[in-house]
Amino acid sequence: MTARKKIVNSFIFLFLSALAIAFLVPIFVVFLNSFKTKFSIVGSPFELPTQETFVGLENYIYGIKTAGLLKAFGLSLFITVSSVVVIVVCCSMTAWYVTRVKTKGTRILYTLFIFSMIVPFQMVMYTMTYTVFQLHLNNPVGIILVYLGFGSGLSVFMLSGFIKSVPIEVEEAAMIDGCSPLQSFFLVVFPILKPTAITVAILNTMWIWNDFLLPYLVLGADKTMPVAIQLTMQGAYGSINWGGFMAMLVIAIIPIVVFYITCQKHIIKGVVAGAVKG
Amino acid sequence: MQKNIRKYFPVFALPTLIAFVVAFLYPFAMGIYLSFTKFTTVENAKFVGFDNYIQAFSDKDFLNALWFTTKFTVVSVLTINIFAFFLAMLLTKAIKGTNLFRSIFFMPNLIGGIVLGYIWNLLINGVLNKYGVDITFAAKYGFWGLVILMNWQMIGYMMIIYIAGLQNIPTDLNEAASIDGANNFQILRHITIPMVMPSITICMFLTITNSFKLFDQNLALTKGAPGKQTAMVALDIYNNFYGRIGWQGIGQAKAVVFFIIVAVIAFVQLWGTRRKEVEH
Amino acid sequence: MATITFKNVVKSYDGVNNVIPGLDLEIKDREFIILVGPSGCGKSTILRMIAGLEEVTSGDLFIADKRVNDVAPKDRDIAMVFQSYALYPHMTVYKNMAFGLSLRKMPKEDIDRKVTQVAKILDIEKYLKRKPKALSGGQRQRVALGRAMVREPSVFLLDEPLSNLDAKLRTEMRSQITQLHNDLQATFIYVTHDQTEAMTMADRIVVLKDGIVNQIDTPQNLYNHPCNMFVAGFIGSPQMNFINAKIIAADGKLYASFSDYKIPLLERMCDPLKEYIDKDVVIGIRPENFHSEKFYFKEDESNKIELFTNIVEMMGSELNLYGEIDGNKIVAKVPSNPNIKLNSNVSLAINTEKIHIFDKDTQNVICD
Repeated sequence: MTARKKIVNSFIFLFLSALAIAFLVPIFVVFLNSFKTKFSIVGSPFELPTQETFVGLENYIYGIKTAGLLKAFGLSLFITVSSVVVIVVCCSMTAWYVTRVKTKGTRILYTLFIFSMIVPFQMVMYTMTYTVFQLHLNNPVGIILVYLGFGSGLSVFMLSGFIKSVPIEVEEAAMIDGCSPLQSFFLVVFPILKPTAITVAILNTMWIWNDFLLPYLVLGADKTMPVAIQLTMQGAYGSINWGGFMAMLVIAIIPIVVFYITCQKHIIKGVVAGAVKG
Repeated sequence: MQKNIRKYFPVFALPTLIAFVVAFLYPFAMGIYLSFTKFTTVENAKFVGFDNYIQAFSDKDFLNALWFTTKFTVVSVLTINIFAFFLAMLLTKAIKGTNLFRSIFFMPNLIGGIVLGYIWNLLINGVLNKYGVDITFAAKYGFWGLVILMNWQMIGYMMIIYIAGLQNIPTDLNEAASIDGANNFQILRHITIPMVMPSITICMFLTITNSFKLFDQNLALTKGAPGKQTAMVALDIYNNFYGRIGWQGIGQAKAVVFFIIVAVIAFVQLWGTRRKEVEH
Repeated sequence: MATITFKNVVKSYDGVNNVIPGLDLEIKDREFIILVGPSGCGKSTILRMIAGLEEVTSGDLFIADKRVNDVAPKDRDIAMVFQSYALYPHMTVYKNMAFGLSLRKMPKEDIDRKVTQVAKILDIEKYLKRKPKALSGGQRQRVALGRAMVREPSVFLLDEPLSNLDAKLRTEMRSQITQLHNDLQATFIYVTHDQTEAMTMADRIVVLKDGIVNQIDTPQNLYNHPCNMFVAGFIGSPQMNFINAKIIAADGKLYASFSDYKIPLLERMCDPLKEYIDKDVVIGIRPENFHSEKFYFKEDESNKIELFTNIVEMMGSELNLYGEIDGNKIVAKVPSNPNIKLNSNVSLAINTEKIHIFDKDTQNVICD
């Protein structure tokens, strides 16, 4: 490396470092403010907590005790995990079925799945909510079915794209070895699908954990994290406990950061794969 | 083999199919129908022909939302892609810490729209406070606030896609070009950009549709204030459904228009990619 | 007893075009049968029908005297080795082999015994804990064979199992599979497009074209007495030469005439060729039945032709000479000889004992 190139590279390094810090500042500010008194947040969010403004975990305790933070967190976790499991299992089964059974019906179904990917939520927002209430699916279990229906487009599309590349001979070998279709699927096909299933699970986890409008419209009194956060702010400005609110934001961000740090490789790979295919 | 699997339709396909019909297919069809009716609850729908569409296009809020959304989309698509491409170029050079930088820039993408909206609400108001105003004071604050927020969220994501594209360019291509006497700018213009064209198309499509469909961030950051000046199309439709009695039909008609615009963007993109695939 | 019988079996994928227009075939117990033919001739389809992977459109298929048209693959007492090996990528070699047995609820100890035993035969014991990805092509091939062997089926179906291996391994595996057939005492049905495999391994060869059986016979008979021009051309390398000729009669003898030559035909051909006198036929001569050595030339030089060499291929102990006579491309295989040069005339003797004569229209053999 030439001397000039070295200098250029260290400049780039400095620039990127500065930018990285700038990228982290917003999250850091929220984190900081979650330890300040509720009156010292709005107006001066960039000030570090001082002896007078530092309140320790008080905001978190308030959030848990009064704002139903733990309940919302638990509900979000329940809905996200169970919906993702249901989506991954059901959609890989469906994807396998529509890929391996070639009839007019499966072709139409597949086209409809792809079509559903481009339809914006607002198009079905009102009518879907109506249908869900009619069928009494407006509860934390019923919403799993709704997520399955909404998530099926992208998930079936991605999974069947992968299944098409799996040699059919492997399944034929399984059949000769004595597998029923169910055994073929769960003992042979699904394990092979695993990398794509992980991608699908990640994309759906990010979507459902962060989703606001659907649970807001469907669930009513049961609040997921994003709904709880929004509803806190929908009240009058003056009466908001900003300290508790900051604690809520932190609690909403932490699982994502943990999730990101633990399976970063899968997430980045999955998101890129999702983008390229979608 | 097919025949064998076919018998298992109720196990393999039926659950997903039921969910798909309940959550998407039936509501979609009903939505198209309702856009031609006047209703407050679905039961009292009365057929009114194209009335809703005519009213939608004579609604100032809707036209404003369309214009605001378009402006926002153009500005954020340009800024996001330019910054993301620039960062990707820097990060594909041999610099230490590349992986860490990449991880940091990507992280905001994972945070949900509502949370993002309030984080930036806090930050922007914190800054504006020093000048005695807040984000809802004028539409331009909300506009640029949304642009900054969107950049923060999407740059890392697009950067990852550009990096993947850049890493796919064989190095001997650049070497061949520099032997042929091309300077850095010419290499960028004639080698790098044409070679990452597939990534550019993907990123353009993703940023366009994501910006155009923006809702959560819009709701959390400005809620449309001041007045309805910073309400984007999705928020405007939402307001018609749940904030304006008697406007449900018009809201549904707007939703159909919204859907058609998004579908056209998707088809143009698909058509563009197909055409390029033929060329190669 | 695992005989396999096709009775007027028809296979069609779209209901309009028949891939197999009507197959009658009987495969004996413990026979090593090889199906050959160009790609698209239906050989794989036949194999897959035996496996139960393709349905029989009409007609009857029997395995061991039991009609199996509607029997599931797993109940047919067969095992199959695929061209792509089709190993389960997520299972170890051991699990790949044990999978079929555990599905059949065989006790663990029995499975273990069988897998180890087969692994020993195939020399893959070292790899039992590896996944297929970590194996070479030849090793994967053996695992695929092993997976079939542990099941101890009465019929082995092999679909071009050696086509993904390099030449050296292929030769090795050929003798290994023949050995297995001798040891296992099972019926082997083997599909290939490689005639060397067919000639070296089979008890009987089935030559197929467009879904129709052209000839079923031992390798020896197929080579010496092909029933038509297709079979004659398909078996043997380089291909049999076909020359357009005319049968003429003179002084009580028959001759095949082409270009300036009049090649005398054997006496036993007189009778079958009676009706072809003064008519056009195609004569077939294998490259190895042209000779350059003095010994083969008749005294009157009636079996001598001149070939102008366009290409001379040095094959080691032999030379392949390429030329043209009367617009017919000719290949001759002669012993290596420094006097034979490129772009020069070479005198060749035809072994008249080994001439095949075909009907020009039906392409069927008239006599040989």
